[in-house]
Amino acid sequence: MSGLLTTSVGSFPKPPELQAARNKMLRGELGRDELEQMEREATAFWIKSQEELGLDILVDGEMDRGDMVTYFSELLDGFTISGLVRSYGNRYYRKPIAVGPIGRKNPMTLKTWEYAQSLTDKPVKGMLTGPYTIAEWSFNEYYSTFEEFVMEVAKVVHDEAVDLERAGAKYIQIDEPAASTRPEEMELVARSMAVVTKGLSAYTLTHICYGDFEAVIDDLNSIPVDNLDMETANQDYSLLELFRDHKSDKHLTLGVTDVHTHEIESLDQVKAGIRKGLEIFTPEQLFIGPDCGLKTRTADESIAKLKVMVQAVNEIKAELGIA
Amino acid sequence: MITTVVGNYPKIGPGTKAPNLRTAISRGDRGETTPEQIQGIRAEVTAEVISDQIQAGIDLVTDGLIRWDDGQTYLARAISGFSFTGLIRYFDTNTYFRQPVVDGLLKWTAPITVADYEFAAANSSKPVKAVLTGPYTLARLSQDQKYHDQKKLVLDLAEVLNQEAKALQKAGASVIQFDEPAILKHKDEFPLFQEAMDRLTKGLKPTLALYTYFDDISGVYPAFLKLPFQIFGLDYVMGKANWDVVTDVPSDVSLGLGVVNARNTKMETEAEIGDAIKRIAPIVPLDRLYINPNCGLEFLPRETAYQKLVRMVEGSKKAAEVAA
Repeated sequence: MSGLLTTSVGSFPKPPELQAARNKMLRGELGRDELEQMEREATAFWIKSQEELGLDILVDGEMDRGDMVTYFSELLDGFTISGLVRSYGNRYYRKPIAVGPIGRKNPMTLKTWEYAQSLTDKPVKGMLTGPYTIAEWSFNEYYSTFEEFVMEVAKVVHDEAVDLERAGAKYIQIDEPAASTRPEEMELVARSMAVVTKGLSAYTLTHICYGDFEAVIDDLNSIPVDNLDMETANQDYSLLELFRDHKSDKHLTLGVTDVHTHEIESLDQVKAGIRKGLEIFTPEQLFIGPDCGLKTRTADESIAKLKVMVQAVNEIKAELGIA
Repeated sequence: MITTVVGNYPKIGPGTKAPNLRTAISRGDRGETTPEQIQGIRAEVTAEVISDQIQAGIDLVTDGLIRWDDGQTYLARAISGFSFTGLIRYFDTNTYFRQPVVDGLLKWTAPITVADYEFAAANSSKPVKAVLTGPYTLARLSQDQKYHDQKKLVLDLAEVLNQEAKALQKAGASVIQFDEPAILKHKDEFPLFQEAMDRLTKGLKPTLALYTYFDDISGVYPAFLKLPFQIFGLDYVMGKANWDVVTDVPSDVSLGLGVVNARNTKMETEAEIGDAIKRIAPIVPLDRLYINPNCGLEFLPRETAYQKLVRMVEGSKKAAEVAA
């Protein structure tokens, strides 16, 4: 029997010197080549860290991405970038603006994925942002409806997924954190995801966070991916309960560490979370990961949280006799 | 016809004279800036955004809610009976706030926004509108662990906010606006909302405005326009149905026409603004009309917010000239 594969959602914290270098590059004080060299070193650090931790499915850690939507919009045709807008507290970001037809000039994530995969024998996930989230987190000055905007973006995300698959990616994750914005649009999330994942043979996942999914659990289950990656620990696993009454053949990545707190979960806390997941899903169906990307934590906190997570999984696997 | 804004204004922007508030707050987090220094910078930014509004041609300004992280926590932190939990999404926006938790009986203990109002009034050559979040919306966006009685909770908050409004009145505020977007998402609770609005406005002398956004008032019209306020702000961008729903506005109240989209950077044309004013004119005469964005401007970058206000003022002026 196999199961309880461990992974992480996508982002890891950038080393402070890389963050400083990004800012320097933006001010024109550092060349792109020098920045890319630092990004490769940081990627190599995280690949090695994940191998040492014993994770099953790795990520490149997104050392070359500032955020998950602006990164893509800067590489796509049809987008420009706004001035700073605030998301909460003292957090600001530059929001993409659709000003023309969205199109893809070249593969966007392929080079970083290929580099990360070249460093390890473990599978590295291809990491994309879904069309609903790209459209929802942008201003729209071009498309006449939001739906049209989403469906057009879906085509370029599909093309990128095809390129990743051809390059050998066994796992492709298409994140839709905005899917909870208007739960009544979960159908549009699913319909646009169908465009993205059409014809792919790679194992597909989508990460969705926040939100009240009770009314749309069936639509959520209908999103055409193999695995739903949900933020569960920071809601005390209440989200998991929805799946108890709405059984799904899908796999679930269970979030067992809260990425919004400095506090490192105890081994018992994480094991209790995994056991809750196992009440509803079989070990084969259940992947274990953090709630969300770890980029807001420090490297030490991220590694400490993942270490507890892997140990908890190993102990439960031993109890269940899973290899 | 009076041009105004709904409430908040972008806190940072390029080419501003005031120090950058974002930088100051992150320095404060590292202990390099004192809370007093940050308060000083908030005051400078407030003066600057008031001056921006006036320069854009706005007749009735706000302080831009520069001291507010969001519509909920700024008030709730000063009301006795609240604590705070995790971040949650604000309606269907990509903005978040720490959710207030009601864990004690709600009490007003001291003025919350009076010093802000006084500062704004002293720094503005135009009249200043005080803005508060209404009791229904504040209750709806909070978690109740104390009352277990929605009605009592909303009415207690109405009492608290009535006291805050009375303090603003004492400080000389001539226009007080209450924001109640949440009622449009829970129209079945309109009877409770009516009761809360009565409690909220009791004994208040200033001109009172009730602003809603992100939706239309179908289902609660015409009763909505009979609530005890003198100005009703309605969203004609995200609540397009308001064009069909609101066919008559009582002759003793004014309408706040939310026609500029404060959630998208696409610029309205002067003609679009003029057309909207022409379209509403048979329903509300221009002397009972306020022209404003559909909601607070903080969803936009500072430079776009300003340009949109300039466009709104120009479009309104031209429409007024044509009408005259």
